[in-house]
Parts: sequence; C-alpha cells; structure tokens
Amino acid sequence: MPTVVLMDASLSMTRPVSLEGSEEFQRKNLAVHGLTMLFEHMAMNYRLEFTALVAFSSLWELMVPFTRDYNALQEALSNLEDFDKTCLELALQGVSTIMQQEWGSACPCQLVLVTDGALGIGRGSLRHSLATLKQRGEDKKFPLPFPFPCKLYIMCISNAEELQTTDAMDNLEQLLILSGGEGQIFTMEGPLCLKSVQAMFGKLIEQAYMPFHAVLRCGHLTSDVQVFPRPEPVMIDEEVDPVPKHVLTELEIVGFIEIADIASPPVLSRHLVLPIAVNKEADEVGAGTTDEMEEDTSTNQMAGKSPNFCVLLHGSLKVEGMVALVQLGPDWYGMLYSQADSKKKSNLMMSLFEPGPEPLPWLGKVSQLGPISDAPENPYGEDDSKSPFPVQPKSKRSYAQNVTVWIKASGLQTDVQKILRNARKLPEKTQTFYKELNRLRKAALAFGFWELLKGVAELLERECTLLPDSAHPDAAFQLSHAAQQLKLASTGDSQYAAFEHNITPMLTDFSGGGGGSDRL
Amino acid sequence: MRMFSVSHKTVFVVDHCPYMTESSRQQIECDMLTKSRAQGVIPLAPVSKSLWTCAVECSMEYCRILYDIYPTRKLVNYIVSDSEFHILNSWRQEDQSVQELMTALAAVGPPNPREDPECCSILHGLVAAVESLCKITEYQHEARTALVDLADRVANRGRIICLTNAKSDTHVRMLEDCVLETIQEQNKLAAGSDRLMPIQQCELVLVHIYPQGDDTLVSDRPKKEISSVLSSEVHSVRAGRHLASKLNVLVQQHFDLASTTITNIPMKEEQHANTSANYDVELLHHRDAHMEFIKSGFSGVSFTTRCQKDKGDLHMAGSTSRDSGLKETVTLKWCTPRTNSVELHYCTGAYRISPVEVNSRPSSCLTNFLLNGIFTFTPSEIIVISHMLSCHGGEIFLHMLNSTRSTLEDPPSISEGCGGRVTDYRITDFGEFMRENRLTPFADMSLDAAGRPPIERAKAQLERHTRYWPMIISQTTIFNMQAVVPLANLIVKDTMTEDDVLTCQKTVYNLVDMERKNDPLPISTVGSRGKGPKRDEQYRIMWNELETLVKTHVGTSERHQQVLECIIACRSKPPEEEERKKRGRKREDKEDKTEKNGKELEEKMWTQDSDRLKGAMEREKEDQSESEVIKDSPDSPEPFNKKPRLATEEIQPLEKSKGPVSLFSLWTNRITQANSRKHQEFAGRINSVNNKAELYQHLKDENGLDVHENGKATR
Repeated sequence: MPTVVLMDASLSMTRPVSLEGSEEFQRKNLAVHGLTMLFEHMAMNYRLEFTALVAFSSLWELMVPFTRDYNALQEALSNLEDFDKTCLELALQGVSTIMQQEWGSACPCQLVLVTDGALGIGRGSLRHSLATLKQRGEDKKFPLPFPFPCKLYIMCISNAEELQTTDAMDNLEQLLILSGGEGQIFTMEGPLCLKSVQAMFGKLIEQAYMPFHAVLRCGHLTSDVQVFPRPEPVMIDEEVDPVPKHVLTELEIVGFIEIADIASPPVLSRHLVLPIAVNKEADEVGAGTTDEMEEDTSTNQMAGKSPNFCVLLHGSLKVEGMVALVQLGPDWYGMLYSQADSKKKSNLMMSLFEPGPEPLPWLGKVSQLGPISDAPENPYGEDDSKSPFPVQPKSKRSYAQNVTVWIKASGLQTDVQKILRNARKLPEKTQTFYKELNRLRKAALAFGFWELLKGVAELLERECTLLPDSAHPDAAFQLSHAAQQLKLASTGDSQYAAFEHNITPMLTDFSGGGGGSDRL
Repeated sequence: MRMFSVSHKTVFVVDHCPYMTESSRQQIECDMLTKSRAQGVIPLAPVSKSLWTCAVECSMEYCRILYDIYPTRKLVNYIVSDSEFHILNSWRQEDQSVQELMTALAAVGPPNPREDPECCSILHGLVAAVESLCKITEYQHEARTALVDLADRVANRGRIICLTNAKSDTHVRMLEDCVLETIQEQNKLAAGSDRLMPIQQCELVLVHIYPQGDDTLVSDRPKKEISSVLSSEVHSVRAGRHLASKLNVLVQQHFDLASTTITNIPMKEEQHANTSANYDVELLHHRDAHMEFIKSGFSGVSFTTRCQKDKGDLHMAGSTSRDSGLKETVTLKWCTPRTNSVELHYCTGAYRISPVEVNSRPSSCLTNFLLNGIFTFTPSEIIVISHMLSCHGGEIFLHMLNSTRSTLEDPPSISEGCGGRVTDYRITDFGEFMRENRLTPFADMSLDAAGRPPIERAKAQLERHTRYWPMIISQTTIFNMQAVVPLANLIVKDTMTEDDVLTCQKTVYNLVDMERKNDPLPISTVGSRGKGPKRDEQYRIMWNELETLVKTHVGTSERHQQVLECIIACRSKPPEEEERKKRGRKREDKEDKTEKNGKELEEKMWTQDSDRLKGAMEREKEDQSESEVIKDSPDSPEPFNKKPRLATEEIQPLEKSKGPVSLFSLWTNRITQANSRKHQEFAGRINSVNNKAELYQHLKDENGLDVHENGKATR
C-alpha cells in the first residue's frame, strides 16, 4: 500500500510556537521532526513501502516520486521552502493523479496529510471547497473520494482546542468522511513541542506502519515471518456480519495443491512472506529484510545460515509447481507460492482469498478438502496423470447444455431447419431427427407455443409429399408419424403434451435394417 | 454486495388470463425454402407468438442469465395467475433451474381462451407473490440460525416482476395499492411466525406487454417510493424483441451485471475449412469485472496507453454504446495465448459469464472451445488484454488480471534473508512430502470416526508427518538412507496394519544386517573434521535418529509401540550406555510409565531434540568465522563439500543430550548463550579446535611448516 505524504508548505506553517527558554521553533520544524521520525521508522521496519512526498500551498509539487529511498525523502523534507496560501483541493487532485499514474485505480493507498489546520481563506480554501460540493459539474468534481481505496491520516500540527476555535476541525472531519471514512485525524496533545509531535507521529506509526509479524506453521515445522504489506481487515457483509475479519498471526498450512488445479484464482491482495530472526531473549524483533543497519549484520549473517522453513518451503513449491493452502482465520484461506521477480530473484508470496467457506468454486468447500491418503484410491493416479479438480458444479450452465432460445427469429429458424435437414436424410438420420424434434417439442410446450407445433407438423407432412421416388420407404412412415405426434401434442391433451414425454421413432419393418423390405 | 439485498429473492408473476393468448403480431417465417426446392411449393404461413409465449420465453431468458451468473443464493419463485394462482417452484436451491421451470410451465400450458375473463386476474398472483416473499429461504434460515441472538440482522427484501397486460394507469395504481396492502397484512402475520419473515423492502417491477401495432394504454414510470416498504416502476413494452431487450436490461440492473463484447475471435468456417472469419461475442458478467475501466474512465486517466506500454501488442478499446444508448458494452479484443504453460496469474477477480445469445453460432463456438479446452489440453485460457477467459469444471469465468505496476516489485530475494545461505535443504524430500499432503475434495459432511471434517484430518496428517522432519541433509542420516524409507513412510500413518509392522521390523533387521556387514552410512561430514565419525559411531548416530523418529509416534497406537520395541531390542548399545542403563534402571521404570502417556514423552523428546538443534546451531556459529564458498541458491543443495571436523567434537554435544536435561543445565545453557551474544568471543576460542587453541601460530606460518590452522590442514 503506497504512501503519499502531503506536506503543507504554506506560510502559516512558519508560525512560531512559543516555548519558554528553548530555541524558537516553527510549526514547520515540528512537522519535519515528526515526518523524520516516520521515515526513520519506515526505513527500519517498513522499508518495502513506496512513499512519495508532495508539498502544497496554492500550487502543488511532487518533491519525491514514489521511492523506497528514505534518505531522499528526508533530504527533500529538509530543503522544503515556504510558499503562499493553503489550497487543499488542488493538492488532493494532484495526489489522485500521481497515484493513478503510478499504480492504477485499484491499488489502495495511505495519504498522510500534514497541516497546521489553517485551511486557507476565500476561493480554494477547504471551507469554500466543501461549501460548493454540490454545485459542481462532472468535470469539476471534488477529488474525494478517490477512485482507489484510501486511508486518510490527517496530522495536525496544532492541538484540538485550537482547531475547534475555528471550523477547521469540522472541515477536516467532513474531509475524512468524504474520503470514505477510513483513516483518522491526529492532533497534538498539550503544548506544541517536539515531545508532543513525537507522541502524535508515534500514534500514527502504531496504527498504520507496524510490521505484521506472524508464525508460519506446517505441522511442527515453523518459521517466524513478516507479512508485507500488512494484511488489511476485510468486511464480508456489513449487514449480517459487520465485524471486520483480521488475518491471524498464526498462519497454518493445511495442505498442498498443484498450480494447474488452483488455476489463477481471484485474490483480495498479495503479500510477501519474509522469514525473520526473532531474538526471543531480548524479546525484540529484527526485520528480516536484506541490507540492514551495520550493527545488525552479524545477527543477520547468523540468521542466514540457520535453516529456515520458509526457504525450504519456497524451494519445494518452486520446484514442484505447487501452492500451499494456508488458513488465515476461521473460514478464511489463502495460498503460498513462489513468485519470481526476475530470473534470479524469487520469493515466497501469499495471496488472500475472499473470506468464506468456499472462496473458489472449482475447489469446492475448503473444509471438505482432505488428505489423499483418506481417499479409497489416489485421486491423482499412481503416475500423477489425473486430478480431482476442478470440482464439477451440481448443475450445468446454460452454455454447457443444449438450451433452446427463440428470442431472435433466427434461433427458431435454425432449429426448424435442423429438423428439416435431418428429415431429408431419413432413415440414416433417424436418431438426430427425433432428438431435434423432441428438443423443439419440449421448448414449444414450455413456452405455450402450440402454433409452432402445428406449423412444423404441416412442414413434415409436406416433406412427406415431396419425397422423391428413390427415397427409402421408412422415411415416409417416420415423417407422418412425427407430424401426427406433434399435432397431438399441440392439442394440449395431457396424454400427448406431457413435457417429459419423448416422441420415439415409429417401429417399422424397415427400421431394423434392410431385411424385411418386401413385406410391405 | 449484501447477501440479503433485494436481489436475494425474485418473484415472477406472469399473467395467464385469456387475453394473454392474443398474438404479439410479430411474425416469424419458419419455412425457409432453399432455392432448388422452391418451385411449385407453397410456403407455410408464418407463425407468431402469443403474448403469453413472449412473456414466458423472456422471463426464462432472464432466469437463464441469472442462474448462469449466480448458480446459488439468488433465488426465483415463479407464479402464474389466472382464476387462481399457480406456484411453479419453491425457494429451495434444488428448485432453482431453468429446466425445473420449463417443466412446470409445460404443465400449465398456454392460457385457456375460453375461460371466463371476469374470474381471471393478475391480483391472485400478486397476493401469492407477497406471501411467498414472506417465506424464509434456506439461506435466510441458515444465517438466522448462525447468528442466534442477532438473527434480526438477517433482512428480508425482495422483488416482484409482474408481466401482465394492464388496462390503464388506474389499473396499474390499483395493482400497486393491492401489493402494498397485502404486504402490510402479511407483515403482521409474519411477525408472529417462525417460518415467515416480515418484508422490509419490496421492489415492484410492472411490465405491461401489448401487441405490436397497438397503442399503449399504460405509461412508463420510473421507480418511485410508494411507501417505506414498497417502491414501484412501470415499463410499457411491445411484445417480442422489445420485451426481450427490456428484460435483458432489467436483469443487468437487478444483478449488477455489465456487458463485454469480445471482438475479432477467429473461427473456422464450415464451408471453407482453411479460412477463418472473425466474430464478436457478447457476454454478461458482474460489473466488477469492469472496475478498472469504470474508475479510470471517471478520473480521465487513459487506460489504453497504459495497456500498450505494459503489455506490448495487447490493447483495448474504450467503451462503446449500442442499441441507441440502451446498452453499454466494453469491447475487448481477442488474443490467443502464446504459451501453453501453467502459470499463476495475478488475478483480482473472477466472474461467471453468460453469453447474451447463448445458441448463436459464434457464442456456442466460443463456449465450446473453452469448455472442451480442459479435455484436449489445448490452451483453455484466452488472455483478453486485461482479462482472461477460463473454464473451471464446466463453468466459464472472466478473470480480471492486474495490469498495473506492483507495489511488491524488487523485493529482497529469499536467498538474501533468513536461512538463505543454507545450501543443503531437503528440497526434493519436501517436494515428495507436499505430494503426499496434497488435498482432494470429499463429499459433504464426510466426518471420520473422531468427527473431524476432512480439513482437520489434513492438518492432523501434517502434524504427524512433521513430528520429526530435519530440514537439511546434513542434519539427518536416516532420511538419506534408502533402506529406512519403508519404515519412515509407514510410521507416520495414523493406523498401522499388522503387515506394516512387519515391514518396519524387516527394515530394522535389514539395518542390523548392514551394521553387521559394516556397510558405510551416508552420514554427513558437515561440521566434522577429519574423516568423520568411526563406523560404529555412525551406526549409533543412525540408531539414535531412528529411535527419535519412532518415539515421536509411539503414542499413536500399540503397533507403533511395537516398532519402537523392535528397534530398542535390535540396536547395539555402546558399552558406556549399557552401563548407564544399569545405573538408571530405576529412572527408566519411571519413564516406562510416562511412555504410556505418550504425550509427555513426546514433549521430552522435543526438548532433547531442540537441544541437539541448538548444538548444531552453535557449531554453525563457530563456522561463521571461517570464510566459505557459499552457494546463493537454496535450490542446489551441495551438502558434502563443507570442511570436515574432528570427530570427537561432533560426538560430545550428542553425548550430552543423551541423558535427561536438568532444569539447571537448561538454564545455564540459556544464560551462557545469551551472555555469549553480548561480548565478542575471544579470538583464541573462536579459532580453537576442540576447545584448545594453538598458540604462536604465526611463528609456524612464518617457518612455512605444515601446521594445523583452524583445524584444517594447510600447506
């Protein structure tokens, strides 16, 4: 989930905060201090997150495009200049564009808006934007809600009391609701100082940037892992089940499935599963990613050399072309597989399925998946030549069965022509002729289309008269028999118009084969 | 989408009164004479459908699309109304199919034109529809039972689609009033019943059907709230083609569907087998499959260019509108896949499809191609730019593929992280393990003797199979020995047969035989210096490991116990152990008791084992000061190229772990380990061999003598 830091660079941010004794700070300094703390935390514990820095006043500027280089972000932050007045709407528009250009419109994002709560005056102020929300045309819509899912964190370099003296707080709350309600407004508690800005950013980190640690388990084989990005809680049905589901910190493998059988399933999100070294004595966790800080090198090297289940699992999944089905919570599953980033690099990846007992129709209910050793015979065959998947649905879809649709005249015409074509090739095509005839009969009965039955009966009678002299004598018998049966059905007489009834070929002396043709 | 939205329950009420026998006046020529036969033959008069036939076939088409895309959870109740109402099916899932409805409709037949029109009314059907909406569906029942106290979260909403021929706008208003009144009455009734639920929301869709050429007596009216429970809309439509397209639009609105037209599908012509023409096929599916387009359309980001940039030759056109703006369809260009390989695509959604014209030639050609794909192993998946059509078990899905930049790009390779430097993982063995632990579907409600569903049995099997499972080759002897395979495969089973026990015993005798013949063992020399342990030592290690494996399963059954007894009886005991055994007889008695308990023993085994692991890890730690050639890839295990070590050291930690570990020694080990991390180890101790450091090495180096350095012979 990429992060956009939207930094207020308007003049009001240069307002000094009054502090006794110590050197004088501007609000901007406090903001920079807080963001520095955030960037340092991310560099340490969340370094795979892509972050962009946007500064805004009456205009906006992309200071640092999406990057994992936190030094670059830090540097841009310290070189930030001061500009004119605040105009949030334009800046949000900018964020929307930047996000979509980089990640498309489905990728969820986190927006960290850092402002002093002075939201501008007159045209372009947030107050003005919100007041004119409903009077806009399609082309001038307010940028919120964004087309992509977004969590909006508003970091106010100001305390709640100060915001409440104006309508700033109300406006920000409205902004949060407009963006979809996901996120939070943070304000500073107590005097504006370094300590309180740290406390505020600490809360943000706690809420949005704590790495997700879990234990990956396969029977007795386990590994401590970091799942990146953090799996988000999922809501299934806000009405029946309004409690969001969280991924458990114990990820239990329940079994394995071939890649061909799982067949590119739809997933909610994808996550890297990175093995981490947990130092249990000190009860602290080091991020398992690569180039760590200098002092961690030795522990990392050691961790690199002790066997880890993730690496074993990844290696075998890759070689065998399989995925591991993993349980994420009650009635919630996902899959683990090897994902190649390039020729050399590959990784253990986890995809989350939709929560529920049956996330993929072609697997059936997950709770009904069991070990092959319980089956009377190996469903994969002794030589892996077959597969119990996909699970067949109970009923066939319309396109998998020979349905009759006469909405368009051509559909009806084709069906009638099919019967006539076969009628001309009697007795060779007797079976097909009656199959098509019965199909038409059934549909006509269901649709209450008796007129058609009469019509087709007449057609068959006419065909009978048009039979050439060379025709097989059986053809005439079958044609008049079929015509008669259709006519009987068209009366609605329950004896002949039963839906399940089928017209069967007339038993003639010819139908057995050439033998008895002289006994006419 | 909410499970119990209005679209959970749909009631069709179709007018079966005498006036519905009236002709739609849309004529169909079904006698298409071929040129050669045209002479002298009088063509058959064209047939025309009645209003009833039109209503029935269009409503069936609505249901066909609905059932294709939602085979479960979206239910239809079909009612026809004349002098009374006839309910053709129930809410039950097994009643939900077009076949079922067609059979029932055939039984009803077309309306009887001779019936007294005064007795007949659509009202009977509408009243029955409201009553039917109050009936609880199996899904509602299930959800209510699951929620117990919160059962009121399960809503009861529904939609009534009424196909009729109304007389006037006043008549329509009368029908609406009647529905509202019935809802109010029924809700009172339902409040006091367990099997009924009051209706919270009802959408009435009145479709007035009139013959072609007539003027309509009823005016269209968009949806309007009649009361808080009831909303109503009126559509006045000519029978035939117009009715069909109206119901097609409605089914899309009611079930959040959207249309995709796949263009330029190459198909072979029957007549000219070696040429192919291009066809278009229109499919319906859930509108979420267009999410990306809809959103980017709103925000004005050009998706076309993105696609071209990312996917090379694939491109998509924007949405186009047809049928005078009535129907929107997204056009996607067909693209035959180039590769046949099985790949795991990043797919963000998969949606069932239904072709708009199911029995048209191009449609059936496409669907048959996809349906049969899985049998003939021709590519069954067709990538359509951002989408892919794929068949799973007789159902075709439109998969939405991710085509934007990934936020997970350029991650650290697994070989750079924890455990990434280890090169002798048992990759092949674990692959075999995964094959044995593949899953297979079982019939519903198939519980075993212990009442466990299949998935719990799968977990239990994984637990059993991993009780003793060394991850790297150098950590194990027995799993590198072909001779142990039969026993290792059998001992993990939940139940062993008498034959299985025999096989295990044979395996053990075979090992005894090997030992007697002094056959070499594939024992790992990693971490040991010199030639590695002596032969009898190797066998001792092997027997210990085998015992460890079997002991973890000893609690499973009497027969598992027999295998352990066989091993203990057969294995040769080194002298000092024999001695200790004598001394520790008393303690062993105690152990015998716990053995029956099984589980306790298991835990003990784990402590011992983890100690062994710890020992191994410590050795690894020491290794780390030596510079080694490290293979980057975990996939190419190269176990035996590590430097050998002196045998004595290998054995000592094992010896220690033999006896029971006291709490004190556990604690001291822990403290020492923790402490050792806090300071830098003395260079001397790091470089020591067998805890003895050689002094004044540099002197020897300078003298160029053949010396031991780090326990390694150098020149």
